[in-house]
Amino acid sequence: MISVLAIGLVVVTSLVIGVYGVRAARSTSDFLVASRRVSPTWNAMAIAGEYLSAASVLGLAGLVLKNGLGTMWYAVGFAAGYVAVVALVAGPMRRSGAFTVPDFAEYRLGAPRLRKLCGCVVLVIMLLYLVPQFKGAGVVLALVSGTPYWVGVLLAGLVVSGSIAAGGMRSATYVQAFHYVVKLVFLAVPAIYLVVHSSPHTRSEALTPERGTHFPEATPVEFTVGTRFSLDEPVTVTVPDGGEVELAAGEHIADAGTEYVFPEGATIPRPEGLPELGGERWSTPLLDVGGYPLFETWSALLAITLGCMGLPHVIMRFHTSPTARTARRVAVGVIALLGMFYLFPAVYGLLGRVLTPHLVLLQGTDTVAVVLPEQAVPGTVGAVLAALVAAGAFGAFLSTSSGLLLALAGGLSHDLFQGSVPRLRLAVAVGACVAVLLALPAQMTDINVLVVWAFTVAASTFSPLLVLGIWWRRLTLPGAASGLVVGTVTATGAVGWSMLLPTAGGWTSVLLAQPAAWTIPLAFATMMLVSRLTRPPDWAEHAVLRLHSP
Amino acid sequence: MSPRREKLTSPQTRIALARGNRPAQHLLPIPEPVDTEAARRLFRAQRRTAARTVALLSVLLFGMSGAFAAFPVLGQIRAGGVPLSWLLLMVAAYPLLFALALWHVRSAERIEERAERERPGSGSGEQKR
Repeated sequence: MISVLAIGLVVVTSLVIGVYGVRAARSTSDFLVASRRVSPTWNAMAIAGEYLSAASVLGLAGLVLKNGLGTMWYAVGFAAGYVAVVALVAGPMRRSGAFTVPDFAEYRLGAPRLRKLCGCVVLVIMLLYLVPQFKGAGVVLALVSGTPYWVGVLLAGLVVSGSIAAGGMRSATYVQAFHYVVKLVFLAVPAIYLVVHSSPHTRSEALTPERGTHFPEATPVEFTVGTRFSLDEPVTVTVPDGGEVELAAGEHIADAGTEYVFPEGATIPRPEGLPELGGERWSTPLLDVGGYPLFETWSALLAITLGCMGLPHVIMRFHTSPTARTARRVAVGVIALLGMFYLFPAVYGLLGRVLTPHLVLLQGTDTVAVVLPEQAVPGTVGAVLAALVAAGAFGAFLSTSSGLLLALAGGLSHDLFQGSVPRLRLAVAVGACVAVLLALPAQMTDINVLVVWAFTVAASTFSPLLVLGIWWRRLTLPGAASGLVVGTVTATGAVGWSMLLPTAGGWTSVLLAQPAAWTIPLAFATMMLVSRLTRPPDWAEHAVLRLHSP
Repeated sequence: MSPRREKLTSPQTRIALARGNRPAQHLLPIPEPVDTEAARRLFRAQRRTAARTVALLSVLLFGMSGAFAAFPVLGQIRAGGVPLSWLLLMVAAYPLLFALALWHVRSAERIEERAERERPGSGSGEQKR
């Protein structure tokens, strides 16, 4: 109940700030980039607030619990992405005067048709990124209020599109700055409280994963989906009618709806394909899902670090700075804000392994940050802490998805159909509808898997376009276009294949699930090779030099 | 002979109609730099700085993860009860990234300032701001 109130409060406050900002939105320029009058501090906070999505607030903690500490590389990558932005794109992008990546493509290469192609890529990236946000909102609402998952998703869509369609980016700036504070405080305070108030035994167990992971108390586990898991030693579980069932060591399949009560001290069964909780593979700080830790870590780092600059909503934000110099400084501020935030998600994952390990069995690790406080601190305090995290998570969802929707609407109306403000508002509504529809069947997919997919596509398309467009005079229109097509097809196709179709296992499935290590070089190589074969226009050099003149 | 009916519209509407459904031209025209050689020098200097930052970033990210893979002992050494490799990943990485970004911004701004200072001396006749 408290959680519902806290979420309601965050939503209402956001709407009030959003409606207050309506007065300022008059032209397309106002609507998209707040007429470039946003102060640097507000801007940095808004960027961080927009960037810290459900993947950071909910997904990271869940992944640490499920796949081990190596998943914190995602967080480092999210922050490192801004170093790449500072070094490679922030200043020059601002000087180009373009609103969106497609605008930049038109400035640099002078072709309206490329703009449409870019518009399509924006749509792909934004949808891949929006779906997990709606998923996050759905699971949080379902968890705290007991409503079905789809109600949460639908409600989330309504709130976001309403707030955006009313006020645009100007309101989004303040709403998102507010959300950064909400997220940081609402995640940090419960985390610090949990660390301080957990028993020394729990703390040492959280930091000493070698001891293995056991159920901390008799734990009822209700399987909502069919789950295949393996046991290292036999265990006797209780079923709801009071009987006892002996599960032998080895493979088991629990059908959806099965309910087992595991006794205190039993080893956590290991769902298929996951590392042993607290085992060697879990506690080594490298990403290890398919068995090739170093390759997976590097591929994911490449995808996230380069993907950040290719995310259309990130790039659009830099146009709210008055000059290139401020744009760069704002990006440095963002890194500080992100670093501060990312100290906390791991706390939930580490304590979650000790206190709520059954979430791994239920495939519900995305909820660990909300479930953990109630489990660790029984009573009112626990409920309040859980409410804080839930509200923070909902704030994360609201701010990221409003930024994403805006970029999506920008892509739809500004780049694909070239409209004015009313059309832009319609585009927001359309974008929200599509995202909600796609999020409905995604309940069981990990938030971070989808988010990293979006980063991979961005890193294989817009990142080479921007880097080469800004730093290489010889980029040509055919080169950029072919690179974009190759990048979109390979990155979208590889991850989609690994998610939807069966793979052979071993190297093939790792290369498909983490394709950034080959799709990014491939996209760069295509762009450079085709550009070498064609001639850039005479003014290409001026266009590049202008991007670097103060 | 009946006069042809003519639609009366305000000048603004006519301009808007003539422009069609295209967005206002907000992109800047691309003028030739006042001093192409100076602009090229500036570009190259900035490219060197950017390359240096990206190289350091790769060393930081790939080096740290490579070290975790090559020296598992990092997971056994403990500082304050926490494995050293965890501390590096969970805490130390962020200040390092911040410092790197800050250094880049300082260098990039210094290059720009130098270019601004040199501009009046290059004979373009432009007033220093």
